[in-house]
Amino acid sequence: MTDTANLHIFGIRHHGPGSARSLRQALEELKPDVILVEGPPDAQDVLTLLVHEQMQPPVALLIYAPEQPQYAVYYPFAVFSPEWQAIHYGLTQDVPVRFMDLPQTHQVPPPAPEPKAEDGTEPVTAAKPEPDDNAQSSAGQTVQSETPQLTPDLTALLFHPRRDPLRWIAEAAGYNDSERWWEDMVEHRRDSTDLFAAILEAMTALRAEVEAYTQATQSAVQAAMGAIPTEEAPLTNEPDDAPADGQVTMQDIMLLDPFETKREALREAWMRQTIRAAQKEGFERIAVVCGAWHAPVLADMPPAKEDAALLKNLPKTKVQATWVPWTYGRLCFASGYGAGIESPGWYHHLWNSSDRMAVRWLARVASLLREQDIDASSAHVIEAVRLAESLAALRDRPLPGLPELNEAVQSILCFGSDVPLRLIHEKLIVGETMGQVPEETPAVPLQQDLTREQKRLRFQPEASQKVLDFDLRKPNDLERSHLLHRLNLLGVPWGQVERSGGGKGTFHELWRIQWQPEFAIRIIEAGAWGNTVFEAATALVRDQADRAPDLPALTTLLERVRLANLPIASQHVMQRLQAEAAIAGDVVHLMDALPPLCNILRYGDVRQTDTQMVGHVVDGLVARVCIGLPLACASLNDEAAEEMYQRINNVQAAIGLLQIPEHTATWQATLLGLVDKGNIHGLITGRCCRILLDAGALSTEEAARRMGLALSTASEPAQAAAWIEGFLKGSGMLLLHDERLWQVLDEWVTGLTSEVFPQLLPLLRRTFSTFTPPERRQMGERVKHQKASVKSKATAVTVDNFDTVRAAKVLPIIARLLGVPQAS
Amino acid sequence: MAATKTSSVNGINGVSADTTPTVLREHAEQQFAEELAELAKADTRPRPPQWKLSPWAVATYLVGGQLDNGFEVTPKYIGSRRTIEIAIATLATDRALLLLGVPGTAKTWVSEHLSAAISGNSTLLVQGTAGTSEEAMRYGWNYARLLAEGPSRAALVSSPLMRAMQTGQIARVEELTRIPADVQDSLITILSEKTLPIPELGEEVQAVKGFNVIATANNRDKGVNELSSALKRRFNTVILPVPETIDEEVSIVQRRVESLGRALELPAEPPALEEIRRLVTVFRELRNGVTVDGKTKVKSPTGTLSTAEAISVMGNGLALAAHFGDGTLRADDVASGLIGAVVKDPVQDQVVWKEYLETVVKEREGWKDLYRACRDQG
Repeated sequence: MTDTANLHIFGIRHHGPGSARSLRQALEELKPDVILVEGPPDAQDVLTLLVHEQMQPPVALLIYAPEQPQYAVYYPFAVFSPEWQAIHYGLTQDVPVRFMDLPQTHQVPPPAPEPKAEDGTEPVTAAKPEPDDNAQSSAGQTVQSETPQLTPDLTALLFHPRRDPLRWIAEAAGYNDSERWWEDMVEHRRDSTDLFAAILEAMTALRAEVEAYTQATQSAVQAAMGAIPTEEAPLTNEPDDAPADGQVTMQDIMLLDPFETKREALREAWMRQTIRAAQKEGFERIAVVCGAWHAPVLADMPPAKEDAALLKNLPKTKVQATWVPWTYGRLCFASGYGAGIESPGWYHHLWNSSDRMAVRWLARVASLLREQDIDASSAHVIEAVRLAESLAALRDRPLPGLPELNEAVQSILCFGSDVPLRLIHEKLIVGETMGQVPEETPAVPLQQDLTREQKRLRFQPEASQKVLDFDLRKPNDLERSHLLHRLNLLGVPWGQVERSGGGKGTFHELWRIQWQPEFAIRIIEAGAWGNTVFEAATALVRDQADRAPDLPALTTLLERVRLANLPIASQHVMQRLQAEAAIAGDVVHLMDALPPLCNILRYGDVRQTDTQMVGHVVDGLVARVCIGLPLACASLNDEAAEEMYQRINNVQAAIGLLQIPEHTATWQATLLGLVDKGNIHGLITGRCCRILLDAGALSTEEAARRMGLALSTASEPAQAAAWIEGFLKGSGMLLLHDERLWQVLDEWVTGLTSEVFPQLLPLLRRTFSTFTPPERRQMGERVKHQKASVKSKATAVTVDNFDTVRAAKVLPIIARLLGVPQAS
Repeated sequence: MAATKTSSVNGINGVSADTTPTVLREHAEQQFAEELAELAKADTRPRPPQWKLSPWAVATYLVGGQLDNGFEVTPKYIGSRRTIEIAIATLATDRALLLLGVPGTAKTWVSEHLSAAISGNSTLLVQGTAGTSEEAMRYGWNYARLLAEGPSRAALVSSPLMRAMQTGQIARVEELTRIPADVQDSLITILSEKTLPIPELGEEVQAVKGFNVIATANNRDKGVNELSSALKRRFNTVILPVPETIDEEVSIVQRRVESLGRALELPAEPPALEEIRRLVTVFRELRNGVTVDGKTKVKSPTGTLSTAEAISVMGNGLALAAHFGDGTLRADDVASGLIGAVVKDPVQDQVVWKEYLETVVKEREGWKDLYRACRDQG
């Protein structure tokens, strides 16, 4: 035990407004001559930016390794974070501020392709293996920290009591929120000096208990497993070792604790060394601000030699630090941030308003509701305050907290409904505040990666609008297209695809390009997803796929992923798609999902291994569509029939594209069933007839017979009109050139008697009026010269004694035009 | 109208006068008199004026718990304690309470127990119907006396609401949204000014501390007469949800069926948990439109399939087993009640039920007997 008289330890709760306020007060009383804060020493250089006038919390310190862009650590700060207040106090009072946590430079894992968990230097992500981690890393893309959910905040300790140790104590005291407990126990007592001593004491007791408990469970687990002889045995995080959901706690203990305890020991040793250094330098009032969990071990110092031994030979990697804007949404525990809190907006409110918290809060709620056109009068607010207060009294709380306020709001302002409450949660309790960083902040890695890509592809951002035509057969253009698609996925619409202007060739892509200054912010925001454009897009897509509500959302996503060329993400989306298709009941959704999948299967942008999976999904979809279609087509009104008509067309096109005989056969059988069925809308039966006729499944005579049947006077005029519309819609040109179609129509018209013809004329006119005037004129001319033209055409097609030798002369030219290498 | 009202008043007076052991269903304050007495003894917390118990004790009475002296209070409402706490805190702030929920979510049950625990009297009740008149809400006249003596307090026949105001107790209004809008509005003065003017006599009745109103309403079909926003504003609304988990629902059904069996003196044994679980599963699956494993969608019938209905199906089955069977509840005994509960619309629901029976019940392990019983009776 060294001299600790000059040492003042403030055990705090990360992002606790109560802690922050008490800490600030305590610091002002103490007037320390140096402040040591739990944080990364790597960021010492950018620390002074914190008091820059353009700096607006919430912001995060980002530490990353330039050589390993996938490794990054974020330390978020809000205005109500005690660390923020401590640093702010130090920088404004000219008191030196130092970070004292284990530097990230020693924590970056060695750049090995296999994610191996050998020692404490592994980030938290590796401890939570995804089942397909290995599969991905074999592709050469190490995606260790691919989702921000798993991005470690090193102050975050996943093991429950460490994550929020005060919460444990709060829970023991019967509170459901540690901030509540803090508020009740601390704020209202106003004796913050003794407070930190009390916390120290409580934590010492808690740590002793937790350690005893952990050891007990760990040895029990080891005994049960029998396979782990010593604690030193390397625990690899192979999926086999990770049992299914049922044993999460076991797994957590197994996988987390070995690293966590070791890493924690390193971190605490470093903190003690920093303190010792400060003592040696002769500071007299040293304020140490750390998570309450660490407080006991910093107060009770072991000999310096032990710590020095522990910290010997740490690996070292070059890291850089910068500030990035953060949002309250991402401060939430729900966003996956380990030391996250549940209600940043509420804490912000607590921090900013000194008195009458409930009244101010409810007034804000009321004005939010008024913005949404929900009645919220002052009388409502008065009643809500009263209810919240009596609820608090009923629960023996000195003041209403968030739960009481929420309940009062739901009961009085929302008339019991929880829908407006969700809005309140989103806008107020979490809040939408986004931070700001000064202009001179060093750039984030994603921005750097983008700049690198832009340079590599000779593709500089320009503020003026431009239209570019990419020839996707050229590698450079293709990569540019991929880059733009990826940026679009990331919410940076640098370019937009213009389909209209493009040529008929599928290898052309027309883009409208314009760089806007606010994209810089979006890139910083997207930086949370990954440090390269590829990785960030992949992580974002995986997240979106997991949250996609239905099949169409997934298929659209898949299409975009395909264009952006993200193989890992597309695999994931495909898996989700398969799972979703198995339980989707809506034929309409299935039909919408089919065409994009068929595109992929036919033109296959994805890697070879995936094609099989797509094929499997497509098989299932076709089968389900064919079974469900007759029912889905029954009793449709005009509008619904119109939509179904489009879908049938799309599916027909997709199945035609696939050219798989079984699928074609099933599909045609289904359509045939539809044609014969009674209560189907004319538009659909007409269309089915036409598709079958085109496919050759119905003979010309049969089609003519059906047309007569459908248009006979006994059928409803509307139904008949719809039928002919479905049969002919959009094919004016075809009618002119497709001899068979013409014949069918012609046979039917000429077969009509003069009495019936006028009756049916309006129906025909309805469809024919949709054709363009030139088409109609040509049809008229053709009818006029009917005899001759039919005869001549018929002969032209059927004649077979043409001059082969003469015809062969044009073949080389055609071959050259088509780019076919000549056979001989 | 006057006649109906008078008789109802007499009826209430007759009941509250003495407790006869042979009544079909006792009032909450009679049935749980012992618990209320024990709670009052153990309760040391401050009580709002005229309240028989403190808010904390009322909450304990409703959700159950153990007192310091070891006395066990049975839960009356199984579900979130927070919901009940909001309801009680509302009543303590002198705001009226509106309990909303789909049919069969224990709205009336909660209101009865709340008033029993707070006022020791759950009988000050106005049943809302399409025919509920203003007299039933405010006051009527004894016409014989009115003609003989002219208007006087003696000729006035007070409504349950008026008596609750005079005695500082909780009044209950059932099915508030069934009451015509003009009659509903007569509540506004009572709730905001806490007085009931009697212009005929030039007098008014001012509510004594402790008076409050609990109203219940159905939010399934929005009732018949949606509340005016003026009236809505005077109520704190608490929505009673359908049971959250299957275990919660099973426990509700089991508890109620047992007490029902006891009350009706049925000789049959209380049903096995398994049978209840099966019934509750059917109800939940049809209500939620998806099977418990989340893999198969099923169509939902038109009825609400509330927990209360599950209880009555079980009670029905129990009676069948007791009187026509061998005393043990079997699938046959449940089936008829079950079909009755599900098939409310003979055409649509029949299809829904058949589909469910054939696709879900038929294939489920160990449900063969239920499938057969249902098929034979359907």
